[in-house]
Amino acid sequence: MEVETESMTMTMHQSPSVDPERFGVQTDAADRSGRVGGLGRYPRLLGAMLRFSLTHEMAFRANFLIKVLVEVIWLGILLIFYRTVFAQTDLVGGWNQSQYLFFVGCFFALNGLVEAFFLESCQELSDLIRTGDLDSLLLKPIDEQFLISIRRFDWGTVPNVAMGAGVMLSGLSGLDSPPNAAAVAAFVVTFICGLILSYSFLIAIASCSVWMIRNQGLLEIWWLVSNLVRHPREIYKGPWGEPLGWFLTFVAPFLLIVHVPASSMVRVLDWNLVGYTVAATVVVFLVSRRLFRWSIRHYRSAGG
Amino acid sequence: MPRSSSLESSATSDCSPTWAAPSRWTRSVAIVNKYFWVFRVTLAERLTYRVDFLLTSIFRFLPLVTTVLLWGAIYQGSGRQELGGGSEGVAFTYREMIAYLLLVQVSRTFSSMPNLATGVAREIRDGSLKRYLIQPLDLVGYHLMHRLAHKLSYMMVAVVPYAAIFWLCRDFFEGWPPPEVIVAWVVSLGLALVLGYLIELSVGLIAFWMLEITSILYIFMTINFFVSGHMLPLDLLPAGWSGLLKALPFSYLAYFPAAVFLGKVAAQELPLGLAMGLAWIVVFWVLVRLLLGRGLRRYSAYGG
Repeated sequence: MEVETESMTMTMHQSPSVDPERFGVQTDAADRSGRVGGLGRYPRLLGAMLRFSLTHEMAFRANFLIKVLVEVIWLGILLIFYRTVFAQTDLVGGWNQSQYLFFVGCFFALNGLVEAFFLESCQELSDLIRTGDLDSLLLKPIDEQFLISIRRFDWGTVPNVAMGAGVMLSGLSGLDSPPNAAAVAAFVVTFICGLILSYSFLIAIASCSVWMIRNQGLLEIWWLVSNLVRHPREIYKGPWGEPLGWFLTFVAPFLLIVHVPASSMVRVLDWNLVGYTVAATVVVFLVSRRLFRWSIRHYRSAGG
Repeated sequence: MPRSSSLESSATSDCSPTWAAPSRWTRSVAIVNKYFWVFRVTLAERLTYRVDFLLTSIFRFLPLVTTVLLWGAIYQGSGRQELGGGSEGVAFTYREMIAYLLLVQVSRTFSSMPNLATGVAREIRDGSLKRYLIQPLDLVGYHLMHRLAHKLSYMMVAVVPYAAIFWLCRDFFEGWPPPEVIVAWVVSLGLALVLGYLIELSVGLIAFWMLEITSILYIFMTINFFVSGHMLPLDLLPAGWSGLLKALPFSYLAYFPAAVFLGKVAAQELPLGLAMGLAWIVVFWVLVRLLLGRGLRRYSAYGG
């Protein structure tokens, strides 16, 4: 385990402390050596981060198992809740029990992936700013946003993906007719869009910590966001529900994250909505990246 | 703290030649005075973070937006006026359901004890627990006063957003219940506070045997969220489960006070319900004393 950690530390420290690209220095030589430059360093670094996080997680195996157990209990509670609800009604917002089950599984898997890859890293951004440790990351010869976003990988929520997939399969098995190839393709595309959208919202919220310095509320805000996305869009009805649903689809498109992949797979395949989701994902990602870069420009190093 | 000097002087007066054994009354006043000062100092300390409280209480209510919409869709899908009520159970109309979910937030304001268990576990782990052994201070009494001050300071600030939200949602209520029900509701909130305190303290005292209780606490909190009736009225569950969960102490932390306010506890069952809550307090009081007594016997007082 020590060797693993050391090799990663070496990779981090062997790299030049100044970003050559930022200072107009060609990195061709580094590309040729395959050590520092080139796009290949991104997956290599990601792999190293994953190994490092796993090593760290396995040092506290009991803690890891408890984290997984809490997630299992939480999924169990969600399933009991919806089972109780569907004992009283056949439809919720036009979704039957199997379709809703698929939706819950989709939410659980997607949220598990976002929390595994990005939540801890984004949460740590405010600490990096407060302590001034962000300096050293900004000097690394790699995209700052990439490095900050993948610093901590939470293996504890990875089983959620498998559990969510299990619930989705269980929902699919209860459908009258299985989805066709087009629906599956639309699901895959919009599921990836959901991931990118979630990440973009997360990094945009985390970027605000540059101004707020103290960003302990990130988890609470994220919890609120996950509260918004874990119900289908059809429940947004009534005099204030409908405008809110419209706002959350077209202005701050949180409702596209889970609703579109789940709905495309088990209910209606609306290509217009799929197209809109892809376009919205691109726009939200670009806006969040601009926001991140703009906030980094306003970062004033604190600490020693 | 000028009062503390009077406490000290009463303590040092033990050595004076004109010493007369303090009367039972004087000792009682000194004890009340001592715990009153714990309460007062904590209150002043907690009020420093009033904006944080305000934001927390607003955040607590925001998820209710989707809850209101979700239950609207559930009632619409079922095409029924009331849900639940199977096999002599209690039924809820849509308005009562939303009123219940709002009232549960009030119950939880009284019964939730954030950081109590982790705080006690830290005192056991780092050895600072010894102050209760060498000072004339009881751990249970000290933390109770500490918590009461926490609660009071929180409520002094949270009353503003709470009042605003209840005013906005006034249409979900059938007006004020009769005075005797309000008295029973206030008593049940008092029971919720003391029981919530004792249950969380018992979890914290497990640290005598396990040192790190965060994981146990997570599991406890996740399960408690459902079995206390925070998520939905326990009456909607199948009759056997509903009866079992209502008899457990956890229902007194959220379900029972809300059900009392809404008149879902029949007048003849109300005294029995309150007596059961009191009985659970006695059970947990004994458990806390037992855990503390046994725990102190194996306590090693690590740290400086």
